[in-house]
Amino acid sequence: MLRVSDLSVNYGDTRVVDKLNLALGQDEILMLVGPTGCGKTTILQALAGLIPISEGEISLGNWASTPKKPIPPEKRNVGMVFQDFALFPHLTVQQNVCFRLKDTQLADHWLSLLGLESFRDAKPARLSGGQKQRVALARTLAHEPAFVLLDEPLSNLDAALKDSLRWEIRDALKKADVPAIWVTHDQEEALSVGDRVGILNKGVLEQLDTPEACYSTPASRFVARFMGEASFLQASYDNNSASNPNNTVITDIGNVPGTPLHHAHGDVDLLVRPDDLSLNGAHPSPNGTVEWVRYEGESRLYAVTLDNGSHLKVRVSHENAIKPGERAHVQLVTTHPLAVFPK
Amino acid sequence: MTNWPKSYPLALLIALMALLPVGVLFSLAQDSAQFFDTHNLRVLGNTLALMTLTIIGSVLIGVPLALFTAYVQMPFKRFWLIVLAAPLALPSYIGAFAMYFSFGRGGEIENVLGVSTPPISGLWGSALVMSLYTYPFVMMTTRSSLLSLDASLVNAARTLGLSLGASLWRVVLPRVVNSIAAGALLAALYALSDFGTPAIMGLDTFTRVIFVEYNAFGLSQAAMLSLQLMVIVGLILFIESRISGATERPGRHLSLFPAPWQRNLMLFATMPIVFMSIVLPLAIFTLWLVREGTGGFELSYAWNSAHASFIAAIVAVLLAIPVAHAAIAGKAGRLMERITYFGFGVPGIVMGTALVYVGLQLPAFYQTLSLLVMAYVLRFIPLAVGSVRTTAENIDSGLVKAARVLGASPREAFIRITLPLTLRGMIAGAALVFLEAMRELPATLMLGPTGFETLATYMWRVYEAGYFGRAAVPGLLLVLLSGVGLILMLSGERKAQFTVTEDKGS
Amino acid sequence: MQRRTFLQGLAAATALGGLPLGVASALSPMASVSVESLPKLEGDLTLYLGRGEGGLYENVLQAIEKRNPKLNLKIRRGGSAALANTIVAEKKAGVKRADLFWAVDTGSIGMVTDAGAAKPLPTDLTTQLKEGFQYPSWSPVTGRVRTLPYNTQRVSPEQIPDSVMALADSDLKLGWAPAYSSFQSFVTAMRLLEGEKATRAWLKGVNRNAKKYAGELGVVMGVERGEVDVGFANHYYTLRLKSGKPDANVALAYTKNDAGCLVNASGIVALSDGDLPVNFIRYLLTHEVQSYLAREAYEIPLVQDVAQPEGLASLSTLTPPAMDLRNLADLRPTLNLMRDVGVL
Repeated sequence: MLRVSDLSVNYGDTRVVDKLNLALGQDEILMLVGPTGCGKTTILQALAGLIPISEGEISLGNWASTPKKPIPPEKRNVGMVFQDFALFPHLTVQQNVCFRLKDTQLADHWLSLLGLESFRDAKPARLSGGQKQRVALARTLAHEPAFVLLDEPLSNLDAALKDSLRWEIRDALKKADVPAIWVTHDQEEALSVGDRVGILNKGVLEQLDTPEACYSTPASRFVARFMGEASFLQASYDNNSASNPNNTVITDIGNVPGTPLHHAHGDVDLLVRPDDLSLNGAHPSPNGTVEWVRYEGESRLYAVTLDNGSHLKVRVSHENAIKPGERAHVQLVTTHPLAVFPK
Repeated sequence: MTNWPKSYPLALLIALMALLPVGVLFSLAQDSAQFFDTHNLRVLGNTLALMTLTIIGSVLIGVPLALFTAYVQMPFKRFWLIVLAAPLALPSYIGAFAMYFSFGRGGEIENVLGVSTPPISGLWGSALVMSLYTYPFVMMTTRSSLLSLDASLVNAARTLGLSLGASLWRVVLPRVVNSIAAGALLAALYALSDFGTPAIMGLDTFTRVIFVEYNAFGLSQAAMLSLQLMVIVGLILFIESRISGATERPGRHLSLFPAPWQRNLMLFATMPIVFMSIVLPLAIFTLWLVREGTGGFELSYAWNSAHASFIAAIVAVLLAIPVAHAAIAGKAGRLMERITYFGFGVPGIVMGTALVYVGLQLPAFYQTLSLLVMAYVLRFIPLAVGSVRTTAENIDSGLVKAARVLGASPREAFIRITLPLTLRGMIAGAALVFLEAMRELPATLMLGPTGFETLATYMWRVYEAGYFGRAAVPGLLLVLLSGVGLILMLSGERKAQFTVTEDKGS
Repeated sequence: MQRRTFLQGLAAATALGGLPLGVASALSPMASVSVESLPKLEGDLTLYLGRGEGGLYENVLQAIEKRNPKLNLKIRRGGSAALANTIVAEKKAGVKRADLFWAVDTGSIGMVTDAGAAKPLPTDLTTQLKEGFQYPSWSPVTGRVRTLPYNTQRVSPEQIPDSVMALADSDLKLGWAPAYSSFQSFVTAMRLLEGEKATRAWLKGVNRNAKKYAGELGVVMGVERGEVDVGFANHYYTLRLKSGKPDANVALAYTKNDAGCLVNASGIVALSDGDLPVNFIRYLLTHEVQSYLAREAYEIPLVQDVAQPEGLASLSTLTPPAMDLRNLADLRPTLNLMRDVGVL
């Protein structure tokens, strides 16, 4: 069980990571997301022991590292997959994967599992990006790490490749039965691959929860915006369970059950996602004006300004085509609870 | 990770060793009679004049050639590059030898072709020779800088109405001034420390006078003059340290495709330089070889040159490794690296003077090969350091981290990852030291064990005795062995650009 | 003048001039020795050799080595003055390296003997030398005369003055090698004979229109090529050049009674105790070696029964100044003077 307590890291006088706490289960994959500069790579480097920490403790199994008694990386039995692959250019794939191994059995296992049999004797310069990343993964897993850190492993690859490789890596991690922390800036990746997601903002962990929880009940507006397109709609909410037993939130464009956050009550902001709404260009009584349209292939994303001033984004199927400047009717159509924030 | 990089203590030791000759000179000069007089003034004037003319000459030749070899696309580009860089393989005194005895009344050109030519000697002769053999420094440093400049700036200038020539002058050259200066300063250092060329040309520069003083009066007077020379050298090194290359984001560099006749005209224009610096010496030496045979020459001279230089090259690279890594690690390390550069600025004759004194104090070392190797190492270690450092800097830092994370201790990561990847740099550095040590003359004359004759010292011996025809065999062998070293160095340089850095983006 | 051998004349001048000689000079010189009678040399010897004299000394050394296969001879070459300085510095530091020092002229020898580094030589060795050339702590090997080689096409013999001092004011283009130790001995002689002031003026005058060469062979070759009209060189350089090129445009001229026709000698000192260095020196005084040097190197032999070199002017016509060779060891003031004037 990887346990991180009150971890803080400073670069000079700047605190880059502030009192981070987390604990990983046996084969759990934790996605760490956040905007650039939020400290994700720093956390990984600290967990690997590549940079010193200023406060706190990192412990796993039989070792615990503190600022006063740091444990060097080679003693932590941690595996790391780097953004730029970090394959040793002067060694072949086979030599890379077996770098410190005496017994090649495990290496052979991972090489065949990841489809790299035919590349054993090639040098990294001859491989494609995807192949390199697979080799990096095989190398990490062949050394039987106690936990794995992945630093934006797919960001140097083409979009088409990302998708398939994503699942391969996840499968491999699960098969290896090791906990992993995976840093990414891609929300889609964060939502789909991880068992839990941690959202970082300027070195502070704003929320650490399942993807669904982060998406539908974000702990803060930052998280809400980060997890996907978020619009905030003026609403009113009565938090008295006696007078409002169904937790109904009342808005100008419909009512919906609400999950109040931070004791929201009275005038509140309702978090709506683009697919919680519908847009009808032919409605007899339009309540908003279309600002712009974005064609997305399977769908269209509309930015609409309601007559009451709220700015919303609506996603509808591609067959629905309304031009900017036209009037349309926006309706709240979802029935599952939405998050309610205090103003 | 660690507070004090592990390379520091060793690097500090080596840096202190590099300061040893200067310390020795100071203590020697205490006994000396004169400090400064009119004779000194004349010598100072000659030395500064030679240095200045060499700088001008090497820049005038080197910069256009750099533009030519960097930007003009032509067949056999690599071949021309090697030919134009080839003067690096010849010691300047071979050129001085050849030119002194070819030109002028009674010279070989007159003997063979019947054409009378003006003599090449004195200040202008020395400056010509030094320029012809140091321009490759300017050419190579400028060229590598030109290759890293993005062509889009020149293209932008041309779309704005500037001609190609004007664009090169106004948009390209100002951005490579630092590299030109770096190469020119290196040429200046060579001009200051060269012994053979001013001696043969009959120009009284510091190095020549130090040699005479050493022979006539002994160590103290030589030490005093040496210290005066070191002041100039120190100034040059100081200026050099102030120059830092501006780094731009590398983009695709400019490529010019001139018409065939233009290309041939440009090649033709480079021919006089190639002729004077390479063809003439080789021709003269071959002529002498044919005429006089190999009398008096022993193969052991070549063996001595080669194995002393080889040992020096290995030792220099081994000592360069901690210094190079210290230089990357931090500010104190960079300072230590700078201190080792001092040795390079100490002319061979001065190094010899200082170390003879050291030898007399430590009789076990006096007149031994170790003392001579030490002189070579102290003088040339900066060449190895520079080469190892640039290669080490280019290694992706993630590689060492990856090794650590896979369980390798810092030592194992260094040996299995860092060292093999800097191998190219180490080989190039060793080749460079080998090349320089092979052709070293004054320190070898003073420090070599009794009976230890190298190719360079034998050439000097026959020159002094007047049997210059006998210089043919050692001269040609020197060129051959230097050529091998040069090829090693150039090939190491090219490969280093391809294999060391992680392939980003494929 | 009655035909006397040149060196008998010197002996007479000696008696007149009061050349202080060692005790051994009272003995009359022996006949020259043959190499056959010498013991074989075995062991390690380090020789400091002042300027290889263009390979001819090398031949002698090679012959000695060939005859004595068990001899391990190590040779360190350099300028005579440089090596003398080295020996003195080594002695000062208590470092011993050289067993023998063979110098081209006596100035450097004097520096070494003055420093007390020379070991005394046995009388049976010194008496092999001609009278006037017997010294207790060093042995002359061969003699040399200072001459003025001139270009026969550009200059006639009448144009060359009898006094070397006059050359400073003449229009003739001169060539010299001031760094060469024999030349420096010549200047020392001039200093001792004419005084420092006159020497200084002479150096300045000549420096104005003189061309510098690295060595005196270079001077003679320069004269021959016509680069200069007259040069300053030891006699044998011209003779050697002419032996290789009989129709060369150079001939020898001599001054009279001044430093310009100084007779000097190359010399050898033993710096270590024991028989080996001394026996080596014996080889240099053998009939064979002396004849070889006279015949091939055109140097003047200093033992009995050896013929004078061909091409040297009839020795009875030469008038060298009376001078104790050991005084030529006073080199330092000469070098200071030359440096001061800007010649060195």
